[in-house]
Amino acid sequence: MRTLGSLPIAGCSDGEIRRLAQQHGLALRADELRTIADTLGRDPTVVEAHAFDAQWSEHCSYKSSRHHLKKLPTTGESVIIGPGEDSGVVALGEHNGERYGIVVAHESHNHPSQVVPFEGAATGIGGIVRDVLCMGAEIIAVADPLRFGRIDDTGSHQRYVAQSAVDGISAYGNAIGVPNIAGDLYFDERFDDNCLVNVVSLGLVKEPEIIHSHAPHDAAGWSIVLVGKATDPSGFGGASFSSVTLDAADEAANKGAVQVPDPFLKNVIIRASYRVFAYLRERGCTVGFKDLGAGGIMGCSAEICSAGGFGADIDLDRVNVAIPGLRPEVIAVGETQERLIWVLPPGVVDDVLRIYNDEFTLPLIAHNARAVVIGTVTEAKRYVLHHGGERVMDVDIDFLTGSIRDELPFVHKASTVTESGAQALGERAGDLMNVFVDVLSHRDVCSREPLYQRYDSVVRGRTVMPRSQGVAGVLAPIDDSVLAVALAVAGNPRYGKIDAHHAARHAVSFACAQVVAAGAAPVGLTDCLNFGNPRNTDHYSEFVAAVEGLAHAAHGLHLPFVSGNVSLYNESSSGTAVPASAIVSCIGTMRNVEGVITPGLKRAGSELFRIGTGGSHVGGTVVADLFGIDAALAPIDEGRERNDNAFLLAAIDRGLVRAARALGDGGLLAALAQMAFASPHFPNVGAVVTLASPVALFNEYGGYLVETDDARRLRDLAAEFEAGITSVGRTTPSPTIVLADGTEASLDHLYRSWRAPLVEVYG
Amino acid sequence: MNLRVVAIGLKIPDNEAYTALVALRRAGVNAAKLERAVVWRVEDTGDAASFVERVEHNEAIFNPNKHTLTVLEGIVPRPGEVWVEEFVEGDDAKAYFGGKMIEGVTRAHRCVSWRLFDEDGAPAGTDVVQDAVDRLLCNPAIERATIG
Amino acid sequence: MNARVAVLVFPGTNSEDETLRLLRAFDLDADLVHWSRAHTLPAYGAYVLPGGFAYEDRIRAGAIAAHDPMMDHVIAGARSGKLVLGICNGAQIVLEAGLVPGTGAERTPTAAFTKNAPIPKFICKHVYVKLAIAPDRCAITAALPEGALIPAWAAHGEGRLAATDEHLDEIARGGHMAFVYAHEDGSTAPSATPNGSALGCAALTNIEGNVLAIMPHVERDAWNFNHPDRRAGTAMLAPSGGSLLFKSFAQAVRRL
Repeated sequence: MRTLGSLPIAGCSDGEIRRLAQQHGLALRADELRTIADTLGRDPTVVEAHAFDAQWSEHCSYKSSRHHLKKLPTTGESVIIGPGEDSGVVALGEHNGERYGIVVAHESHNHPSQVVPFEGAATGIGGIVRDVLCMGAEIIAVADPLRFGRIDDTGSHQRYVAQSAVDGISAYGNAIGVPNIAGDLYFDERFDDNCLVNVVSLGLVKEPEIIHSHAPHDAAGWSIVLVGKATDPSGFGGASFSSVTLDAADEAANKGAVQVPDPFLKNVIIRASYRVFAYLRERGCTVGFKDLGAGGIMGCSAEICSAGGFGADIDLDRVNVAIPGLRPEVIAVGETQERLIWVLPPGVVDDVLRIYNDEFTLPLIAHNARAVVIGTVTEAKRYVLHHGGERVMDVDIDFLTGSIRDELPFVHKASTVTESGAQALGERAGDLMNVFVDVLSHRDVCSREPLYQRYDSVVRGRTVMPRSQGVAGVLAPIDDSVLAVALAVAGNPRYGKIDAHHAARHAVSFACAQVVAAGAAPVGLTDCLNFGNPRNTDHYSEFVAAVEGLAHAAHGLHLPFVSGNVSLYNESSSGTAVPASAIVSCIGTMRNVEGVITPGLKRAGSELFRIGTGGSHVGGTVVADLFGIDAALAPIDEGRERNDNAFLLAAIDRGLVRAARALGDGGLLAALAQMAFASPHFPNVGAVVTLASPVALFNEYGGYLVETDDARRLRDLAAEFEAGITSVGRTTPSPTIVLADGTEASLDHLYRSWRAPLVEVYG
Repeated sequence: MNLRVVAIGLKIPDNEAYTALVALRRAGVNAAKLERAVVWRVEDTGDAASFVERVEHNEAIFNPNKHTLTVLEGIVPRPGEVWVEEFVEGDDAKAYFGGKMIEGVTRAHRCVSWRLFDEDGAPAGTDVVQDAVDRLLCNPAIERATIG
Repeated sequence: MNARVAVLVFPGTNSEDETLRLLRAFDLDADLVHWSRAHTLPAYGAYVLPGGFAYEDRIRAGAIAAHDPMMDHVIAGARSGKLVLGICNGAQIVLEAGLVPGTGAERTPTAAFTKNAPIPKFICKHVYVKLAIAPDRCAITAALPEGALIPAWAAHGEGRLAATDEHLDEIARGGHMAFVYAHEDGSTAPSATPNGSALGCAALTNIEGNVLAIMPHVERDAWNFNHPDRRAGTAMLAPSGGSLLFKSFAQAVRRL
C-alpha cells in the first residue's frame, strides 16, 4: 500500500482537516473524513480521499434524500424494473409473442449548463442515453424540461444560457440520432443564477434481453472492460461540483468540472454496443453493463461489482488515457464523457474488444478511444486500485458504496396563502379578449416552436406525434407493430414558488393528463427533484414536502415511480434557491397506435367540452402572474382525476373524441387557441366560446378540453363514469375565436401574438 | 479601434485535424502533420492588455478545458497556413457568439486555419497547401481560401 | 435476380435503420454496409447513403466522407451506371464527391448544401417536395407521375443549395434540379423553402440521371403514422406519401 501522499487525518483538529480537504479540493466534511480514517484504521491515500469524496457526495450517495425517497410507490403490474438500477423499465406489451419493455431514465445537468451551457446541456443528453443503453436497450427518445432565468436583456448571461443550452441539446441529440419528442420550458428570475436542464430518455428492450447494472451471480474472476473515450482531466471533481452551491468567483474551476462531449464518438459507441448486444444474445451470455457518470471509473466499477456482491481489482495503468502523466485520482474519478463498463465472462472478451476496436474502429474515431480490459471482479469484497505498480486504494467495497445518511432538519409548514384569487381576478380582468391575448403571449404559454424546431424529432422514423403536433410525444417504436408509447413532462415553477407539496402533485397530475390526452394510458412516472441547499432548513423542508406530494399523487393515481434523480444545491452564493421544482415525466402506453389523438381541431361544427371544472383557485396561474394576484394553488383530488382520465380514455376508445388537450399553462382559452393553431385546416376552423367566467377561462388546474361530434354519447358516457363535463362552445368554419361577451379575434392575430415572443430569442 | 487576430486551438487531441490529415493523404496531398485552429479577426475598442482575458471569458468560443488561445502578430496567414472562410455577409459575431458578445469587440470575422507541415516539421510549401485547398479544405462554391 | 442494394454506414450516420426498413418494404435485397467493410461494396448494384453526420461533418458536411474508401466504390459504380441515392447527409456527401450535379471533376464540388438561411441553424420541419424534371430524366424518379408532390421531413442545419451564379445557371439549364420545395397544394414559392435554398432546390440529379441527392427525409414520412395530417380511416402502418420515391427507386433497381 502506498502511503506517500496520504491525508494525515489522525490527530488533526476539525479545522486542520477542513484545511486539508480544501487543499485537495475535497467537499468531504471533517466528520466524514474522520469516519473514513477510523474505519480504514489508517489515513486515506489521496486516491481514496477523492474516491470517497465522489462516492459520498450528495450526487452519488443521495445521503440527505434517499430516506425520503422511500416514501414513493415503486411497484405495480407494469413495473419490470423499479428504481435502483441505471434506469427503470415498464411493460409496453407483446408483439409476435415477445414482451417488450420501455426503459426510462431522468436526470439533471443543471450546474454544468449554468457554467458552460452548450457543453453542459449536451453532456446531459450524453449521460442519460448511456443510462438507457446500458440496460441492453435501443435508445428511442429524449425529452428536455428546461427552466431558464430572465432573458429580456440581450447581453445577459441568462439569455446566453437559454440559447446555448438549446444549441447543445440540439447538437448532441441530433448527431446521435435520437428523436427529441417532448419537454417543457419556463422562465423565472429565480433561475437567473441556476438554470435547470433536466433530460429524460426512453429505450426499447425485449424483456428477456434486459442487461443489469450489476455483476452476475457467477462473475468472480470475470473481466472488467472499459469502453469509450480516452480518459482526460476534464470533469475531475464533477460529482462534488454538483453537490455544492455555485460560486460565480470560481469561474475557471467550475468550467474545468464540465466534461467535453463527443456525440460523434457516442454515435459509434451506441451502434457498436447494439452489435455487442446481438453477439451476446447469440452466445447466451448474462453480463453486467453500466454507464460511467459521477465518480468516473471508480464509481461505476465499484457500484457494478458491489451490487453483484463482489469486489474489484483494477489497474489504472491499463486505462486508455488522452495525455500521459495523469494523476491516479484523476484517472480513477475524473468524469470524462462517452465511457461505459462491461463485466464479461472470459470466453467473450476478445470478441467484444474486436467489435468495438476493429469492426467499429473506435481508435480511428477519436484519439485513443477503445475498449480495454482494466481489471477483474473479485470474490473478496475489497475495492482495490493499482497505479504505477503500487496499490493506491484498498477499501471495503460496501463501505465505499454503502448508503450513508445525513439526517437533516426540516419542518412541515402549510402554505400561508389561502385565498382563491377568484374575486381579485374578477375585479382586475376587464376585457376578456385583451387578457386572452396577453395570456397567449406570456413567456410560459407562447409558442415553443422556435426552440423545438432545433431538435430532430423524427429521426429513426418511428415518430407518431412530435412536439410540433402535440404536447406529449408519441412513438411507434417496434417495426410493424401497432404498440405505441407516449411521454410527457411537467413541473410548474410558478406553482413551486407558492407551495412545494401541491406543486409536486400538480406536476404528476399534469404529466399524466398530457399522456392521456394523446390517448395513452399512464403506466409509470419518473422524477427529478431540483431544490436548493439541503442544509438550509427552508429549502430542505420544501424538498421533503415535494417528495410527500409526489408520493401522495402517485398513490392516488395508482402509478409507480420507476426512476428518478435528485439535484440539490441549485442555489447561488447569495442564498437564492430555484423555485421548488419537482419535475415529473409520465410514460403512457397504447395498445393500438390507431387510437392516437392529436390536439388540432378537426372540423367545424363540432362541440367543445371541458372535462373537470378546475375549481375557483387561480394561484400560480398565468393570469395571476399577469395581474399580480397572490392566491393559493387549486386543491387537487387525485381520485377524481383518475376517474376523469379513465373516462377520457374510454371516450377515445369509443371514437367520441376528435381532438383533446390537457389544460395547463394559461387555462382553457390558451388550450383552445393552441388546438386551433394545430388544426390541419388552420386558420379555417375557429370556435365560439359560451363560457363567460374569467376563472373558468383562465384557471389551470385539471381536466381537458375535447372536441367531439357526438355530444350526446359523450354526455351519456360521462354520466356512466360520474365524470363532470361542461359545454364550452363549438367549432366554426370561421377563422376567428368569439368569446361569450361577443368580442372576437382572428386566429391569425392570435397566432401571431402566440408565435412571436420566442422568435427573437431562438430565431 | 484596433484590429486583433486570435487563434483558438485545441489542447485536447484534435480529431478533426486527424481525420482531415488522413483524408488529405488518401487524396495524395504530401503533408506529414496538420494543425487546425479557429482564427478570429476582430475589431476591438478595448485595451490590448485585457484582450486575452475578455476573449477567455466567452464560453461560446473558448473553454479552458479544451482550448488554447494565441494572439497572432500578423493579420495574414503564416507560411504553410491557409485561412478558409465562408462567404458570409456582414458580421460573424452574432452567428457564432450567440447572444454573448466579447466586451469591447464590435465586429468579428471567423475563419478556419489549417497549418500543414512536412516530415521535418517545417511549414509545407505553397504548392502543397494549394493542393490541399483544391482537393479538400475549401469548397469554392461557399468558401474562399487565403494562403500564407 | 434483382441487384442488391447497399445502405452505407459511415461513422456518424444515424438514419440507416429506417432507410433499410423502407427499402426492404419494397422487397429489395438490401444490407447495411459499415465503413470497415468497404471492400464488399462492388458486389452491390445500387447504393443508398442515409442521413446523419458522417465524420461529424468535419471540415464541411460530407467533405471527409467523400474521401472515405467507401466512396471510391460509389464513384466507380456511379460511372458504370449503378444507382446512387443520397438523402440529407448522404446528399451532402454525394455533392462533395462531385457526383451531382456532376459537372466538375471527381471530388471537386461545383455546389454545396450549406448552412441554412436566414437562420444558420438546424431546422426540423415537415415539408413537401415537387418533382421538377420529367420523371424519366432521372432513373430513380422514373416511376413517379409528372410533378409528383411528396411529403418529407426536413431535418438539417445545412440544406441550402449554394453555388456561383455560373454553376447555378448550369444546374437550372441542365435539368439537374430534380425536386423543389412546394406547399401542400403543390404551389411553389420562396415561403415553401425551409432553408433559403437557391432556386428552392431540394434535390439534384446528375447528367446521366442515375444519381439523386435529396435533402429532406422522405423515409421519415414513410408510414401513415409519420404523416402530420392523418386522415381518419387510413391505416397507420400503411405506407404514406414519402415512400413513393423509394417505390420508384425499387422499380429502377429492378430494371438494372
